[in-house]
Amino acid sequence: MNFGYLMRRALVTIPLLLGVSILLYAVLQLAPGGPADVYADNPGVSAESLANLERELGLDQPVPIQYLRWVGAFARGQWGYSIRTGRAVTIDIAERIGPTLLLGGVAFALALLIAIPLGVFSALRRYSAVDYAFTLLSFLGISMPIFWLALMLQALFAVNLRWLPSAGLETIGDSGFVDRLRHLILPASLLAVANVASWGRFVRSSMLDVLTLDYIRTARAKGLNERLVTYRHALRNALIPVVTVIALDFAGILSGAVITETIFAWPGIGRLFIESMNGRDYPVLMAILMIGSFALVVTNLFTDVLYSLVDPRIRYD
Amino acid sequence: MKRELSRYALRCFGVAILLGGITAAQDRGGTLTVGLSYDVDTLDPYASGFLTDVQSTFLEPLIYPDENARYQPAMAVEVPTQANRGIRISADGKKMTVTYKLRPNLKWADGEPVTSADIKFTWEAVKNPKYLGSEKDGTDEIEKIDTPDPLTAVISYNQIYAGFKASLFGYGILPKHVLEGKDLNKDPYWEKPFGAGPFKVTEFKRGQYIIVDRNPNYWRGGGLPYLDRIIFKIIPNTNTLVTQLKSGEVQFAYNIPYTLAPSVDNVPGLKVIRAKTLGFRHLTFNHKNEFLADLNVRKAIALAIDRDAINKALGGYLQPTNTFVVSSFDYATKNVPIYKYDPEAAKRLLAKAGYVMGGDGVLTKGGKRLSLKFLSQAGRTEYEISQQVVASQLKAIGIETVIDNKAGAALASSRRNGSYDLWYSGWITPADPIDSYISFYGTKGFNNGSGYSNPKVDKLLNDAVTTFDPLLVKSDLERAQKLVLNDLAALPLFEAPSVIAVTEKLQNFKSNPTNQSNFREPSGWWLKK
Repeated sequence: MNFGYLMRRALVTIPLLLGVSILLYAVLQLAPGGPADVYADNPGVSAESLANLERELGLDQPVPIQYLRWVGAFARGQWGYSIRTGRAVTIDIAERIGPTLLLGGVAFALALLIAIPLGVFSALRRYSAVDYAFTLLSFLGISMPIFWLALMLQALFAVNLRWLPSAGLETIGDSGFVDRLRHLILPASLLAVANVASWGRFVRSSMLDVLTLDYIRTARAKGLNERLVTYRHALRNALIPVVTVIALDFAGILSGAVITETIFAWPGIGRLFIESMNGRDYPVLMAILMIGSFALVVTNLFTDVLYSLVDPRIRYD
Repeated sequence: MKRELSRYALRCFGVAILLGGITAAQDRGGTLTVGLSYDVDTLDPYASGFLTDVQSTFLEPLIYPDENARYQPAMAVEVPTQANRGIRISADGKKMTVTYKLRPNLKWADGEPVTSADIKFTWEAVKNPKYLGSEKDGTDEIEKIDTPDPLTAVISYNQIYAGFKASLFGYGILPKHVLEGKDLNKDPYWEKPFGAGPFKVTEFKRGQYIIVDRNPNYWRGGGLPYLDRIIFKIIPNTNTLVTQLKSGEVQFAYNIPYTLAPSVDNVPGLKVIRAKTLGFRHLTFNHKNEFLADLNVRKAIALAIDRDAINKALGGYLQPTNTFVVSSFDYATKNVPIYKYDPEAAKRLLAKAGYVMGGDGVLTKGGKRLSLKFLSQAGRTEYEISQQVVASQLKAIGIETVIDNKAGAALASSRRNGSYDLWYSGWITPADPIDSYISFYGTKGFNNGSGYSNPKVDKLLNDAVTTFDPLLVKSDLERAQKLVLNDLAALPLFEAPSVIAVTEKLQNFKSNPTNQSNFREPSGWWLKK
C-alpha cells in the first residue's frame, strides 16, 4: 500500500464516473415520457404551456447537447433546479440525506452487531438446535416481503399496543432524542432484518470454510486455546469476503431505502428518487444517481484498503 | 314548476342551516391533522402536479364551486352572470367581458388590502412565458384586464369562453405587493406562502408535513376560521395512511382506496363518508388500432363487460353509468345507446364482423389474432383489479388482452400518444366540465390520444362552450353524449365516489366533488371539544 497507488486509483475514478454519467443520462432519456407529462393529468393544462415548459428547460434541444450542458454545470458544482419543486437540487437533496443516513446508518450498525456474532456462533455450533433455528429464521428474513412485515409491525405496535408511532420522522413540534428514537425503532429494525439474515448466513459459511482449513488444525495442535483459534485465526480470515459484501451494502445506504421510507413516511433520498422518477425530474435524478455512483466507487476503494488491514498478505503497489 | 319548487325547498334548507348555525355554538380552536397520500412537490398551485389541498387553505379565490359543484362568491361580491351584468357579450357576439366586484375591506394575511390590481397581477404572472407553471389554462383567452377602481376588475376575453370560472382564478389570487418583480418559479415566498385564505403556511417540511395556521385577517369575520391549525402529514403509502387513521395519528384522509375502505368502517371515533364526486371511470378504445377501428368490435367489447362484476370485486362503492357526464350535471342524459351485458350478443357481433375462433381460444380474422395491449395505472389497486375483471370478461368472448401497465410520466405519455389499444382509467372534471370533454373527445383534444374524431361532436362541444344559454348547452351536450356513445369513443363505466374518513369531532365538514380540493372552504369547520 502506498500513496502513489491510492492516487492512481483516485484518478481512474474520474473517467469511470464520466462514463457512468453518460450511461445514466442515456437510460433516463430512454425511459418513456418527460417532465411535462406529469402535469398532463390535469384537464386544465394546455399543450402550449407544456411546450413552453420544455422550451424554457431546454428539453427541446438534442439529448447530447442537453448532456454536455448538464455535465459541464454539474462538474462546476451547479446542480441546477428541480423541475418539480422549483428549488435548488442541492437543497432538496441536503434535506433528505440526513434522515436517510440516520435510518440507514442505525439499521446498518444494528444489522452488523447482530449478524456477525450470530453467524460466528452458528458456525461454531454447526448442526445444533441454535444453528437450525438461525438458518430457519434467516431464510424467513430473506424471503419475507418487507412491506408485509412492516404492516404487521405497524398494526401490532402502533394500532393494538400503541407503544410506537406508525410512521414519520418525528412528532410535529417535538424533535427530541427520545421521540426520534421511538420513530426509528420500527423502520430501522425492519431494514436490519434482511441484512441480518443475509450477512449472518454469509459469515456462517465463510467461517465454516475457514474452520476446516489446515492452519486452524495446526493452531489447535500447537495447543492454542479455542478462543484464540476462533477469534484471532479463524474470524479474521473469514471476514475478508464478508467485508466485500458488507461494504457494497454500505454504499447503498446513500441511495436510500425506497420501500421502507415509503411505508414509514420517512423523508429520505429513496422517496425523493421515486417521486423524481415518476416526474422525470432529470436534475434531481442525475444528482442522486451520481451521488450513489460516487459512494460506490469510493467504498470500493476503501474496501481494497480495508483488505490490506484485515489481511496483511494483500498488498498493493 | 318543479324547478321553482326545488328552489323554494333549497331556500328553506338554507334558512334551516343558518338557524342551526346560530343555535349550536361552535367550539373554537383545536388542530386538525390530515393525512395526504401524495408527496407535495410545491405549494404553488399553478405549478403543482397534484391536487391543491394545502393551497386551497391559504389562497382565496374570487368564486369557488361548493359541495354541489355550484359556484359561490368568495372574495367577489357575487358570481358574474349575464343577469347581474357581470358577463357582457360584445355586439358582434364574438367577445365578452367579465366584471368582478371585490368585497370592501378584504385583507391579505399580512394586513395589506386586497385590490383589483392583485387580480390583474395574478393573470400577468401566470401568463408570463418565463413562468413555468403548467396550469396556464384561461390566460391566453384574456385580452386585457382593466381596473377602473380598487374594487372592480373588468376582464376582456377575446372569445366567448363559458368555462372561464373553472380556469385561472380558480386557485386563488396572488398578492402583488409581495410577488411583483420576483421570479415566481423560485421565489422563497413558496416556502411559507400566504394569501387571503382562512389559513397561512407557517412550516413546510419537505416529505414530512405542512402546517397552516389561522389567518386573523380572514374576511369572513365572525371568528372564522374556527380551527387554529391544520397539519397536513405526507404519508405516501395508503396502507400506512389507514394505519394512522386507526391509531389516531391522523384524523382526516380522503380518496381512501375502495379496497382498504372496509378496514376503517368500524374504527371508534371515525366517521366514513362516501362523497359524491365529478369523477368517472372509463374504458377507452384506440381508434387507430386495426381491430378497434371497426365499430362492431368496440360494440362487442362494450357488450362483453359486466359492470356489476367489476363493482363487486371492488366492494360495491361504484355507481354504474352509461354516459361520461356525471349525474350531478343537469345535462347528463339517460337517452344514450346503452350497452347492457350480453356476451352472447357480443360473440354474434364478432362472428358477423368476420372473426372466427382460433385453436387457442382467441378470435382471428385474416390470419391475425384479436389481441389487444391493455394499459392502466401500475400500482393503483382499484384500476388494476377492474382491469383484471375486464380482461377475463373479454377472454370469455375470445379477445386476448396483454396487460401493459405504467406509472407516472410513462403512463401520461402513453395515454397522450395513444400507445395502447385499451385503456382503463378515471377522470375527474371541474365544476364546468365542457372544456374537459373537448380535451377527452375533441379531434384535437389535448387528452385525446385515442385518435377518435367526429366533426359533429367537435361542433356540438364547441357550441356548448361558447354560449351562456343553459337550454342550448343542455341540448348540445345531450346530442354530443348520444354521438360519443354511438361511436363508442370510450365506454363510460362508473361514477366514482370518494371515500373520506374524518374524526367524529369534526363538524360542518363539506366535501368538494370537483377536481379542486376538499379544503376549498374550511373556515366553517370546527372540532367538538
